[in-house]
Amino acid sequence: MAQLDPTALDLQLAVPKRGIRIGRIRVPGWLALLLRNSKSRTGLLIVGFMVFIAIIAPLISVAHPNDFNILATRQAPSWHHLFGTTDQGSDVFSQVVVGARRSLLLGALAGALATVVAAVLGITAAYVGGIVDEIVNLLTNVFLTIPAIPLLVVASGYLRARGMWTMIAVIALVLWAFEARILRAQALTLKNRDFILAAKTSGEPTWRIVFGELMPNMISRIAAAFVLVFYVSLLVDSGLEFLGLGDMSATSWGVTIYWAQVNSTVLQGEWWPFMFPSLALGLTVLGLVLVLAGVDEVSNPQLRTEHKRGRLVRLVFGRAAA
Amino acid sequence: MRWFARRLVFYVFAIWVALTLNFLLPRLMPGSPIDGLLEHLSPAQLAANPGIVQTYEALLGGGHHSIGQDYVTYLHRISHFNFGLSTSNYPTPVSEVVGRTLPYSIFLVGVAFILSFVIGTGVGMVAAWRRGRFTDSFIVPAFMTVSAFPAFVLALVGLYFLGLKAGWFPIQHAYDSNVIPAWSWTFISSAFRHAQLPILVIIAAYAGGWVLNMRTVMINTIGEDYVGMARAKGLRDRRVMTRYAGRNAILPPLNGFAAQFAGAVGGLVFVEIIFSYPGVGYTLQSAVLGNDYPLAQAILVVLSVCVIIANLIMDVLNFVLDPRLRTS
Repeated sequence: MAQLDPTALDLQLAVPKRGIRIGRIRVPGWLALLLRNSKSRTGLLIVGFMVFIAIIAPLISVAHPNDFNILATRQAPSWHHLFGTTDQGSDVFSQVVVGARRSLLLGALAGALATVVAAVLGITAAYVGGIVDEIVNLLTNVFLTIPAIPLLVVASGYLRARGMWTMIAVIALVLWAFEARILRAQALTLKNRDFILAAKTSGEPTWRIVFGELMPNMISRIAAAFVLVFYVSLLVDSGLEFLGLGDMSATSWGVTIYWAQVNSTVLQGEWWPFMFPSLALGLTVLGLVLVLAGVDEVSNPQLRTEHKRGRLVRLVFGRAAA
Repeated sequence: MRWFARRLVFYVFAIWVALTLNFLLPRLMPGSPIDGLLEHLSPAQLAANPGIVQTYEALLGGGHHSIGQDYVTYLHRISHFNFGLSTSNYPTPVSEVVGRTLPYSIFLVGVAFILSFVIGTGVGMVAAWRRGRFTDSFIVPAFMTVSAFPAFVLALVGLYFLGLKAGWFPIQHAYDSNVIPAWSWTFISSAFRHAQLPILVIIAAYAGGWVLNMRTVMINTIGEDYVGMARAKGLRDRRVMTRYAGRNAILPPLNGFAAQFAGAVGGLVFVEIIFSYPGVGYTLQSAVLGNDYPLAQAILVVLSVCVIIANLIMDVLNFVLDPRLRTS
């Protein structure tokens, strides 16, 4: 499900040294740069909105997400139930806002774990080179060749308990290869810069060069790679839950869609139990993709769309459509 | 030729890793999957197949042999396509279940993925050639937005709006229930109609990636001297776009075909389940949920092999299209 291939994400060069003031608030340089690009601005707004909803979820959910009420089952969206109710009479709106917490948290943590594995393996391999590099590269390619979703389906099928941490570990172990390939390629381009050679000649040990020299200089690329794996693991996790292979007692977007599918609400013409969590998921992913696309444009100005369109287009699609 | 040999060695290695993962997974997980598996068989069924428990032990572990001994037996059985009996389709052998379902999946994902590649790279090429015009500012964002949604969401949306509400497509199964699978016109036309919506969904889910990828590469290619040269020669615009810029820009996306195809096989699992399409993805889910581990194991192996074969075909194509690979 990887849609973007951010092989050349380098914000570092373009980031102003010091933060920029907007009114009274001081904004860090990288954020200001991302906010100036229309794509990543839209993306950040969407993701920020979703995270905000997840944080205030207990305040805005009208009922406990799994409360059931046999007197109010299968109701279409109304003022009383904004997103309608499920066949058990649970409020879909509450399920979506509360589910945002688990879905986003699981996606982010799995993405973070995959990033750590990928950064350590990919950057070390690129720097050390030789047989270590060969092995890591081989492993990465093998993991990219074995289809991830079937592998995850089979692996989680063997699991007896599918708690949050188990799922995070399983997803991260399958997805790290996506990132390792990108980070290794980028570390290779940094490897022969002067500051690395200087560190080497001054006798710094390998682990210090990897963690103290290479990694800090790749932090923006690592962050961009994290965004990529974040949305991939968000998709993968919801997908597994949709198949009934996640923690089905939890409240999350995937679980809500799973029950909508199991009770074949779609075939009965009830679109709301699957449409709202799906929209939330798709919107979050779109936001993250836009952030990445913005980062891509900032670091490679050639990709920017020239604005030749009329006012109407901009009104309908916003500048973000560029 | 050296390059090609290297690739072949890599694929053999990848298949070996897939097989070994398949061997290790049930043994690494807590609890023995054998018990869950045998629950699905009655004592009479067990008595009718004396060797069945040994077969399962070789595939999944839990026997009294050492792990090394198990591994040898496992590889031996796999190389003879002996995956045991499927408990959820008792008494059909696993290989027969896979053989029955695989053609549907290959047809679906093959057609859909090639179409998404052709459409995606075509749109990306035109978008880059005419920057900021209609294709670039409307169709590219539309593809991007649609592709941001996971395949299972697109499948549900397509099922609801195009299948159920508009009634344009059949919404379930691979062919009409009154048709018998055979090489007859009625069956083929029925199968074709049932495949339309799943194929459309897979295209919608994966074309966006190609569009972005192609657009990025194409924009860089347009700046090359030979494109300017072709223009200066006075060649027609379309010819410069396809034969000069597009011809060269297509190579990097083609190289990414492997990873994308592995992803699309994942999307296929969801699409098949939603449309109750009797392919391997649909079978995989029911196998895993029904503790039919031998069947799940076999499907993972078969899907990995399919992806590797697709990779191999792409390598050959790459070899034909990229003269630099031939000379090195």
